[in-house]
Amino acid sequence: MVTTLQEQDTTITDSVANLTRQARLAAAVFTQYSQEQVDKIVKAMAVAAIENAHIFAQAACEETRMGVVEDKILKNLVASEYLHNQIKNKKTVGIIREFPEDNMVEIAEPMGVILAIVPVTNPTSTVIFKSIVAAKTRNSIIFSPHLMAANCSNLAAQVLYDAAIAAGAPKGFITWVQKSPRLRRETELMMVHPEVDLIFATGGTNMVRAAYSSGKPALGVGAGNTPVYVHKSTNISSAAMDIIISKTFDNGTECPSEQTLIIDNEILPALIAEFKRLNCHICTEEETAKITDIIRDPKTGGINYKLVGQSAKTIADQAGMNVPSDTKILLCELKGDIRQHKLAIEKLMPVLGFVGVNSVDEGINRSLDINYAGGTGHTSGIFSNDDDVVERFATAINTGRVIVNSPTSMGGLGGLYNNLNTTLSFGCGTGGGNITTDNVGIQNLINYKRVPKRKNFILTFQTTKDIYINPGSIEHLRNVKTKSAFIVTYGSAAERGHLSMILERLPSDCRVNVFSQVGVEPNWGTISRGIEQMRGSQPDTIIALGGGSVLDAAKIMRLFYDFPELKVKEVAFNFLDFRHRMNEFPRELPTQMVAIPTTSGTGSEVTPFAVFTDEETNRKISLIDECLLPNIAIIDANLTKSLPPQVTADTAVDALTHALEALVSILATDYTDGLALEAMRLIFEALPECMKNGANIVARHKLHNAACLAGMAIGNASVGINHGLAHSLGARFDISHGRANGVFLLTTIGFNAGIPRKFLPHSAYTEYVADKKYARAARFLDFATQKDGTTTQDLVAALKRGVYDLLVSVGQPTSIEELGITEEQLELAIPSLIEATFSDMSSRTNPRLPMILEIQELFQKAWPKPVRP
Amino acid sequence: MKTKELVKISGQLNKAQEQIDAKLAKGEDELELDFSEATSVSVEGLEWLEELLLHAQSANSKVTFINVPPTIYKVFKVAHIDQFLQACGGPPVSGPVC
Repeated sequence: MVTTLQEQDTTITDSVANLTRQARLAAAVFTQYSQEQVDKIVKAMAVAAIENAHIFAQAACEETRMGVVEDKILKNLVASEYLHNQIKNKKTVGIIREFPEDNMVEIAEPMGVILAIVPVTNPTSTVIFKSIVAAKTRNSIIFSPHLMAANCSNLAAQVLYDAAIAAGAPKGFITWVQKSPRLRRETELMMVHPEVDLIFATGGTNMVRAAYSSGKPALGVGAGNTPVYVHKSTNISSAAMDIIISKTFDNGTECPSEQTLIIDNEILPALIAEFKRLNCHICTEEETAKITDIIRDPKTGGINYKLVGQSAKTIADQAGMNVPSDTKILLCELKGDIRQHKLAIEKLMPVLGFVGVNSVDEGINRSLDINYAGGTGHTSGIFSNDDDVVERFATAINTGRVIVNSPTSMGGLGGLYNNLNTTLSFGCGTGGGNITTDNVGIQNLINYKRVPKRKNFILTFQTTKDIYINPGSIEHLRNVKTKSAFIVTYGSAAERGHLSMILERLPSDCRVNVFSQVGVEPNWGTISRGIEQMRGSQPDTIIALGGGSVLDAAKIMRLFYDFPELKVKEVAFNFLDFRHRMNEFPRELPTQMVAIPTTSGTGSEVTPFAVFTDEETNRKISLIDECLLPNIAIIDANLTKSLPPQVTADTAVDALTHALEALVSILATDYTDGLALEAMRLIFEALPECMKNGANIVARHKLHNAACLAGMAIGNASVGINHGLAHSLGARFDISHGRANGVFLLTTIGFNAGIPRKFLPHSAYTEYVADKKYARAARFLDFATQKDGTTTQDLVAALKRGVYDLLVSVGQPTSIEELGITEEQLELAIPSLIEATFSDMSSRTNPRLPMILEIQELFQKAWPKPVRP
Repeated sequence: MKTKELVKISGQLNKAQEQIDAKLAKGEDELELDFSEATSVSVEGLEWLEELLLHAQSANSKVTFINVPPTIYKVFKVAHIDQFLQACGGPPVSGPVC
């Protein structure tokens, strides 16, 4: 019957529509199948393939006139029995993997409709393999066979489909393109058909390239050109046998099979002799030239496909050579530069090149020459009993499979000689223009749905182990075991009598050195001098006596005294994740540290923080790690009695800021909340009294404890935006830390109590409660009067009023204006202030993520003197 | 006066449901297929549903699907058949939707 071109096109379109529709419906129905249903189907298919392995092999050899029936039977069995053994217990439905440590699971989602291209070299084993892996992953599959092998491929597809249907598979989940002159056109149309989800292409370079060019997701394979390095440490007879097994397997049609041997010259004669003994033919130079002439297609320069899968005898006959009929392989020495040799290509037939080398380096380099002559990403092999040589080879070579002491063809298939995934499709990675180097299998036919549950951020509470807390607790120094103490303190410690209080209580046999050069906000130069002096005196105990600056400086000196190899830049940089910091500190510091605060402010004696000023950049640098925590803290209020009122107020406002910020921090816990609230209560109660009567030891004691409690709170919950603003303002205008904090308190409470424009994302912070917590503080501090309402907003206002009243009552500024900074000066500085605030670590635990414009507003709002809330 | 009949689909829908075909043939104006007791659907079931919807369309009747369990609703989604999704109350779509 004669048909017009239009009629042919309609037929093709109808056929494509029919095939893809069947596959689509089957894919949809397959989504409902359980693992048990799938495994039953897969087993039935494998059994059918095993039972028909012989029939399929014979059909393939008859139709393609390639390969060896016995070897094709083995391939069919590998693609069914071995594959089934490997995948039968693998989960491909529902939850397929669990990651308990990451609180995550993976769930399988089928890919849908697969268009599978089948090569002429493995026409039935590929169909068996792809049908089974498609079923195992609940995908439907449409086979496009090679025109020269369509009958045997479609026979295999039919047999496996029938078995699958009998076992309950969805109708139409395996379909195939019928053999016809339109086969290629149908395949091309399907490659771009919207109902095809994935192209699984195994075949010639052109077909694989077409698959990749289709715009569909594609799993392809690259060309091979397998180099095999035979190192002198190998067992010669074993290597010869393995190579023969491999290269003769199905007459060399397997693409991972050996193409060129690179042999150590020391063993070359013996190995060649062994090949000869086992009926391989060693070609003369003239014979090699004849073979070269016939196996390369003069038109394309590629391989002569008519000789693919033919026997050594057939090839020799065609080359005009006389060899015995049982000749296994034709071995050709590649003389000269192998990079130029015409036989240094993939030869899918029992023709094998070889070359001698004088060293491992040369062996690897010549292997790379073959590898990069059209075989990148595919397969290589090595025979060696020296593991170092194997590792050097495998590191250098660029192949997805490096087969060790085994036949590369069967080794590449996986399952027979090693535990590689069994496959008939060899991913070659980017070297071969593919997306994977896998032995392609079920793992590549699943869409992985990752289901991460919310990260369990482990909250902890850590602080200084021994804390002595009442007036007179300085006496504990008598119990400190030390033979050599190093006291870090401030310039007037002796004048204020603090130094003698320490010296009198240290053991009489203790050698003591004093470093008293720490001023306000110490820089690295001061700290370096302290470390140097420490190294000279070799203390076992460091006693830090002073305010926050002294305590921080002593912490840093101790760190670099104990670990002189540490570099500041390696431990001092910002981070976002407070629990998994990139900076690596030592686990613990061997030198004991006793911290004795003489101000009631930073709480540094119980925090893992230490700050110093980098004189080069004039920026403050923070070190944060639990190893910085002192071993002992002595909170003796007697040491604060002589503190001037101004310093008392400045430092107490710092402590109040700590408490307020820790309370609403994203890392706040029940532990830190209790400490923060109690610290606030003590400050509001004791600070006014301390300002009136600095010698009131009870008030001093409460204020000293408040600073320590607030220190513990920020040591675990950290601070917030108020500190970020204060750090940048203080550094820019040289304002003391406590005063700088105080001028922002009212605006930042208001800022955090509002509805955030942006929440700060953190897995530990599950609900925005800053306003409620401020309200709670107001209630706890008894600030709400009868006139006030009881709404959260009313209580936040009451807290602000309480803070305002305290600041005013102790003479602390409540605005930037009161610090002597003009509005113009502030405006000029704002760009740099914003940058410094935004990058300040403190802002990263504030519940409300400050936007850049909001930071600007916070500075501007804090400038004028506020009205009493 | 339009009539509306509710019909339950139970268990596995794996073949044509002749009683439902008969209802449609009788000229019911509206059929509501309740999938609340349906457990799964096969390719044959999908083919029958598609045919049913086509018949309904040509008979100027309306068939709607209600209480469709997620597993079956997903089958309708993956099948890329517009009529199924419209029968579930969805808007018409053209071609596969990712």
